Amino acid sequence: MTSNIKTDVFTRMVKLSPRFLLALLLLPIFAGLISVLLPAFGWAPELEQTSIGLHGFYALWQTPGLSQMVTLSVSTGLISTLLAFIITLMILAAFFNSPWLNRIQRLLSPILVIPHAAAAIAVGFLIAPSGMISRLLSPWLTGWELAPNGLFPHDPYGISIILGLTLKELPFLLLMALGVLAQPELGKKLRQQHKVALNLGYCPMTAFFKVILPSLYPLLRLPILAVLAYASASVEMPLILGPNTPPTLAVAIMHWFSDVDLNLRIKASAGALLQLTLTGGLLALWLGGEKAVKVLFSGLMTNGQRRYGSAFWQTITLVLTTLVIAFILLSLIGLVMWSVAGFWRFPAVMPDQFVLSHFQNALMQMSEPLFNTLAIGIITTVFATIITLLCLESEQLTAKPMSRFTSLVIYIPLLVPSIAFLFGLVWMQQLVHNQTSFFNVVFTHLLFVLPYVFLSLSSSYRRLDPRFAHVAASLGASPAKVFLQIKLPQLFSPILIAIALGLAISFGQYLPTLLAGGGRISTITTEAVTLANGASRRTSAVYAIMQMVLPLIGFILAWLLPKYFFKSAHR
Amino acid sequence: MPLTKFWQVNSRHYFSCIAFFICITLSVSLFPTAIFAYTEQNSNLAQQSRWQKIEQTGENQDVYFYAWGADSQVNAYIQWAATQVKTKYNINLVHVKLSDTSEAVSRVLAEKSANNNNQGSVDLMWINGANFATMNEHTLLLKQWANKLPNFQYTDPVNNPAVTFDFGIPTQGMEAPWGLASLTFYYDNLAINGSANNQLPTTLDELLVWSTQNPGRFSYPKPPDYLGMSFLKYALVMLHQQSDETIKAQLNQMATKQNTQQILMPLWNFLNKLHPTLWRHGQHFMQNGAQMRRLVDDTELSLAFTFSAPEVPAAVKRFDLPKSIRSYAMSDGSLSNTHFVAIPYNASHQQSAQLVANFLLSPQAQAQKQKPSVWGDKTVLIQSTLSSDQQALFQTDTPHPSALPLNSIKRTLSEPHPSWVEAIMTGWQTRYGVSQ
Repeated sequence: MTSNIKTDVFTRMVKLSPRFLLALLLLPIFAGLISVLLPAFGWAPELEQTSIGLHGFYALWQTPGLSQMVTLSVSTGLISTLLAFIITLMILAAFFNSPWLNRIQRLLSPILVIPHAAAAIAVGFLIAPSGMISRLLSPWLTGWELAPNGLFPHDPYGISIILGLTLKELPFLLLMALGVLAQPELGKKLRQQHKVALNLGYCPMTAFFKVILPSLYPLLRLPILAVLAYASASVEMPLILGPNTPPTLAVAIMHWFSDVDLNLRIKASAGALLQLTLTGGLLALWLGGEKAVKVLFSGLMTNGQRRYGSAFWQTITLVLTTLVIAFILLSLIGLVMWSVAGFWRFPAVMPDQFVLSHFQNALMQMSEPLFNTLAIGIITTVFATIITLLCLESEQLTAKPMSRFTSLVIYIPLLVPSIAFLFGLVWMQQLVHNQTSFFNVVFTHLLFVLPYVFLSLSSSYRRLDPRFAHVAASLGASPAKVFLQIKLPQLFSPILIAIALGLAISFGQYLPTLLAGGGRISTITTEAVTLANGASRRTSAVYAIMQMVLPLIGFILAWLLPKYFFKSAHR
Repeated sequence: MPLTKFWQVNSRHYFSCIAFFICITLSVSLFPTAIFAYTEQNSNLAQQSRWQKIEQTGENQDVYFYAWGADSQVNAYIQWAATQVKTKYNINLVHVKLSDTSEAVSRVLAEKSANNNNQGSVDLMWINGANFATMNEHTLLLKQWANKLPNFQYTDPVNNPAVTFDFGIPTQGMEAPWGLASLTFYYDNLAINGSANNQLPTTLDELLVWSTQNPGRFSYPKPPDYLGMSFLKYALVMLHQQSDETIKAQLNQMATKQNTQQILMPLWNFLNKLHPTLWRHGQHFMQNGAQMRRLVDDTELSLAFTFSAPEVPAAVKRFDLPKSIRSYAMSDGSLSNTHFVAIPYNASHQQSAQLVANFLLSPQAQAQKQKPSVWGDKTVLIQSTLSSDQQALFQTDTPHPSALPLNSIKRTLSEPHPSWVEAIMTGWQTRYGVSQ
């Protein structure tokens, strides 16, 4: 009897979970968008403005430098995504089926967990006029005794932003692609096809573009679109690396929203709509470009040509890859050195002395942000993991794959620029409850953590051999028992990886933490961004390092724990 | 002897006159004193019991202190204050670190518009100038509390308008003074080495000449940053030194459509000459003073300025600035102002916030704050109101070589009316906000 009731509860819970997931993701985003839409058209009762009209947009058009803001947002977003995508393809093509691919993956994957803010800080240290590159060349080559008048970071063309975004998104795309290739059946098929092409005399890179890419690309499309959407509307990178006369649109919107003059919120809402249109336009442009490429190059696929200057491209890729890795390594070395540097006058390559006082001072003030970071991260991730598991289980229980609509909705938080709906969301949250900023932050983080946890878990869950479950069920095990005792143990390792990923995503959130917490909830990331544009280079290095170490610990645990458990199981 | 007699008669009159006057003077002078003494005693008692009530209700609560948080020294000082009020009143002082104080202002405004009139999230905020003017205008601040804090007496409010006026606006007890700031310059003496075309500029005019000879080595934070605005105000006040008194007087009055053009024209002319010589050719400006300090450490800039002079030696001690840094004050004048703490009208923990504000004003807290190794922010307390024990708290050791030498500030310039901030900011934004 009792087990029957339990089963019912479990099954009902599982069957309800996809709807719950939909509500959890859609409601806040739509509520947020509506709360931005209304003020944009002049309806803001809290500002005693209830006349519907376009004055928000007029104010927006009259903003000095609006066209520059838009150009900057569009160009940095598009170029960085394109660069990251192309370099990813070149690396994949040049090193496909070679041991180097794994080595590059191992070198780059830690970058994935580095939050954008920390990456921006590290890149800034490298390319500044007094940065590592300049120090390595001075004064013996350049003759500079004082740091030169430079362009980077904060150059008006957004090159620094593009550089930062490209370096940060490249590992993401690469790992996504490798993840696709790691799927047993598809990967095996593609590798075999690649071998066939090689045997037919295709050079490796050409074989990749003609044989692998057409099958690989559709699976990469969503991650690429997510990268594009993020890059066109992100705040951290442009805030730390970008120009400010004027900044990118997203940064400007953020400033307007937090301005003393509340009437600017109407303009900000109009700006948020513009941002939404821009990002939407960029996504459409990308999809259109895809079609164009398909039409233009479909002939090339079957023309039978075996090579296109392959030695040349192979060398270029090698140089590019080395450059990217060298760039990342130099940034990280610079970051670590700054965090322990005493006096370090330009153009010395090494600090005069190494001290630990920056770490000591920072750690003394870090307890609260650290606690918040961990608490928010853990609560959010555990919750996200449970919902994801239940949704995936419902898929298997009902023996129906998730509807196309639902699987699209999961990506919505990654595709809608957060700046466009977060302000509305915060406004709604303030209406509902006022004093629980901690809960608000957790709730908002969930929107961004859920998609990644889902992405990370879904493929392994769907790949589970159903026969185990069938055998257990035929032996009389309830669905709950099958779920808890058969499926979850098999998924131990993927679940840990998903949790580590979820934690990393939560740790890195800047705008959602800042807005939903009303600035009251400080995390390592909000502190790092606040410090990056001010304060001591040494202190911000310490915070950036903390930002990197936290998610790394998560991943190391996710990697070590299964080994430990499996070892004890083997005994 | 008619003369003698006359004298006797007169002197008798004279004495009685004197006696009469003495009587009158005595009674006139004593009577009100007695009344004042009486009322003062009464109000003292009332204030004491009022304060006791605040102490009782304010204990054991949280205080959310919204304060600019991009300086680790300031943050560390606030943490120190938090441990103190924790032991004293069991108050949890939570520092909400802002990158711009206006964030807190807009938060309170938003709460007011959402009809949240007593559950506000901001309990105490660090504020002055334009932000205070905005909050005052929208009546977002609690009134008549700061002047009743027990420690307020040490600021000698009767003779010290610096603690009762914020950029010319009377504070009406809405703000408790916290610290005093003057615009102080600092430079890298390895970079400005005193050679022919590289002499240390000590006036605004010399600054322009020096920057032209050494392009790219000076700049100021982008308005509306507080420090950047201060530099522009310093320039504005200096540029009007030779102007007519009637024009000069406009600086202390509201900026209007009519006078803005005339008053600000000299500033724009000056900036048009200065900007091409600045860091990044005046096309990009740093966000704030801390970033400017970092650029000096990077040797990109050779000359910079700050509103809190002790920050400079403190930064050198933390390795955040090179050893070759020296501080000085401009000989043509130093812009000076007071910064305050205020309580929003809807603060959830008003009594506790007052306890914290009173603690921040105590000789102990002010002396700690003035220590160069802690924060080095100049105290608002007047030494003559303190006991000798309290004065001893403020004794410091020999100054650091990079510190501002004692008594370097020869001439203080007072802040123009806060409405000029908006006028300068708007004008600046349209002229220089978008690089060509």
